[in-house]
Amino acid sequence: MKLPFDNTSTRIRFVALGLLGFMLAMPFIWMVGASFKSRAEIEAGGIHIVPEEAHAENYPVLFGQQPEPVTGEKLELKFGRWFFNSIFIAFANTLIQVLTSALAAFAFARLEWRGRDSVFLLYLATMMIPGLTLMIPNFQVMVWLGFLNTYHGLIIPASFSAFGTFLLRQFMLGIPKAMDEAAYIDGASKWQTFTDVILPLARPGLIALALITFIFQYQQFFWPLIMLNDQQFFPLPVGLLELDSTYGQQTELIMAAATITVTPLVVLFVIFQKFLVRGIQLGGVKG
Amino acid sequence: MSERPARRWDANWPAAAVFLAPNFIGFLCFTLFPVLLSFAMAFHYWTLRPHEKASFVGLRNFTDVLGVRALDEPHYGVLALYMLCVAALIAGLIGALLSNVHQWRGTRTGGALICLTGAAMVFGALGGSAEHHTGVFAFWFNQGTQGIFFGGILALICGVAIVGREDAEWDFGIGLGPGLLIALAVFGFWSLGGPMWAAYEPRDARFWYYFYNTLFLMMGLPLAVTGALGLALLLNHDLPLGPWRHRAPGALVCAGLALLCIVLGFGLGWENIGLFAGLIWLFAALGFLFNIVTFRTIFYLPQFTSGVAVYILWKSLYRPETGPVNMGLEAGFNAIGLALVPPSWLAEIAWAKPAILVMGMWIFIGGQNMLLYLAALSNVPQELLDASLVDGASRWQRFRHVTWPQLAPTTFFITVVSVIGGLQGGFEQARVMTQGGPAGSTTALSYYIYNKMFQDLDMGYAAAISWVLFAFIFVATALNWRFGRDQEVD
Repeated sequence: MKLPFDNTSTRIRFVALGLLGFMLAMPFIWMVGASFKSRAEIEAGGIHIVPEEAHAENYPVLFGQQPEPVTGEKLELKFGRWFFNSIFIAFANTLIQVLTSALAAFAFARLEWRGRDSVFLLYLATMMIPGLTLMIPNFQVMVWLGFLNTYHGLIIPASFSAFGTFLLRQFMLGIPKAMDEAAYIDGASKWQTFTDVILPLARPGLIALALITFIFQYQQFFWPLIMLNDQQFFPLPVGLLELDSTYGQQTELIMAAATITVTPLVVLFVIFQKFLVRGIQLGGVKG
Repeated sequence: MSERPARRWDANWPAAAVFLAPNFIGFLCFTLFPVLLSFAMAFHYWTLRPHEKASFVGLRNFTDVLGVRALDEPHYGVLALYMLCVAALIAGLIGALLSNVHQWRGTRTGGALICLTGAAMVFGALGGSAEHHTGVFAFWFNQGTQGIFFGGILALICGVAIVGREDAEWDFGIGLGPGLLIALAVFGFWSLGGPMWAAYEPRDARFWYYFYNTLFLMMGLPLAVTGALGLALLLNHDLPLGPWRHRAPGALVCAGLALLCIVLGFGLGWENIGLFAGLIWLFAALGFLFNIVTFRTIFYLPQFTSGVAVYILWKSLYRPETGPVNMGLEAGFNAIGLALVPPSWLAEIAWAKPAILVMGMWIFIGGQNMLLYLAALSNVPQELLDASLVDGASRWQRFRHVTWPQLAPTTFFITVVSVIGGLQGGFEQARVMTQGGPAGSTTALSYYIYNKMFQDLDMGYAAAISWVLFAFIFVATALNWRFGRDQEVD
């Protein structure tokens, strides 16, 4: 058998990649290790990655199923609920945003109408405005509408994005014009062309947008932070902050919570990495 | 498009309206209307307090953010000269945008000037810190010195890059006018600085401090982008590991070694060493199985998962007493026999910003920028590389003259996005890790805006700051656009 490492530059590349990857992965490895440690071990310090004795009970404690080992009381936290909130809000946002973006992108990319380019330019121009500049007045609008401390206050404003429209428009522009012309000749209506021709062809773009949106919303912090003060509506990031401010000294619990938060993302990334990488590259390079 | 009959465009109107409606209504309600509202707010005293009505105050919010106030009796001459310098700076920048900056920027004279300025700043910073010399870390204790030092380093890098350009010449281009104007303005700021600060103070000194913090936190960006390019170059080609039947035994051997290391480590009581070695072999096994994708996944994970969870993780890493960073440093210091105490990172004014900077590097180095560079690298035409190889170009020459120019649009895009993101960023780190402290040293502008909104409940002032921030972003983007475009022409 011929060994693959027959030249020096490959060996150097392999070792460099391995070392860099190891360095970048270290914090995560420490996080998982710390989530299985006991309170005493964390306080004792030391550079141990592996817990001297595995304490899996940090996880049930977090979900309120077991009393906390040091003080013996149950945590007053709704961690399971926060997890559900995060998934639910991100899912609802993704669904609505992909739908509205696809519809609008169809109007921008496949239909010709007077004023189309000016309207699209308006969309593009607002993409330049910092999110912060929009947050302030949007919060005032939410106060007027009475949307504070509700699910729809989190879902509705985040469901329309110029970015999604832009991404899908770019994707749909890449579909040959002959496709929908053939459909029109066969007597299809615009709606049928949209659902039966363009949407299936734009599927990779839709999946990429859906994933990017889902992940962005799952990590969303600023908006839920200012909109909510009732614990039962918290998504995970805001919940983590709450946990950190209440039980901040209990590093093992915090690390368990962080591990739970990060895990779905890692799983999503490993499964869908092809789509994600393409979506990011597409949204970026053509921007 | 104008030659098309107008009727066909009008015929599509109803359908287009139906398709666009859901998105457009949301766009009107949550983007366009808020933009107008925000603009209106900036000119009002607008508060979240109940029972207080908004009142029109004109430009007061903006003058409060940007303006100065006289300390004792006003010195209008100094103020007028200073404003003249500001005007000269603005005129110079606009001129630089409009005139052919490319030539001015490209001359080695300009590069040498920038180099000299950078070197002066670095020496000034080092000399200034030597005055109150108390130990190895003394240099870091002075906030201002840090800024000057890093600014100088940045200027040096830029200057060397310009002087090192092979196509540049030692002459003065047509764009010298704006350059001179800017230089005059900077000289004016420098020499007027003393009397100006003796007679006036900024109305909102915190705004400028937080602006400096924001810029400081952005200083990791050039390094992170360079790192991203380096990683992309490392990841560009698959490792030549051969076909499946060659890789599978390799993967098996590595996995077996990983298992052996872990079992042995735990058996002999060296858990850490066993685990480390085992993990490295595990990576090797994955590398054999999935080749380059393994590494791309690992490199991308920090940015992909970045959010509150990751910030909390780093907060624990930086914990002074029990955090692994300090534990590692202490062990290292002890091993070499140095009697140093590691800093308490996020709790120390001098070290909080650098600590967050390092975390930012960890997040960004393998992130989206790397993916964008990878995409761009795969689009570099192979013929060009082959042709240069035939011409006998060295590896560096091939990168410098073939690959790098082809990457210019991507570099430009990354720079623009990074600058925009950097100026707006810093909120999450500040809120989660330090709450802006110690003594406001990690407060970025975005966190200041948040505080103005929810602590002082002063929406009008917050809106005014956000518009000033928008202006900064706009100027930075315009400069990037102008200079980046020139780069593309090269």
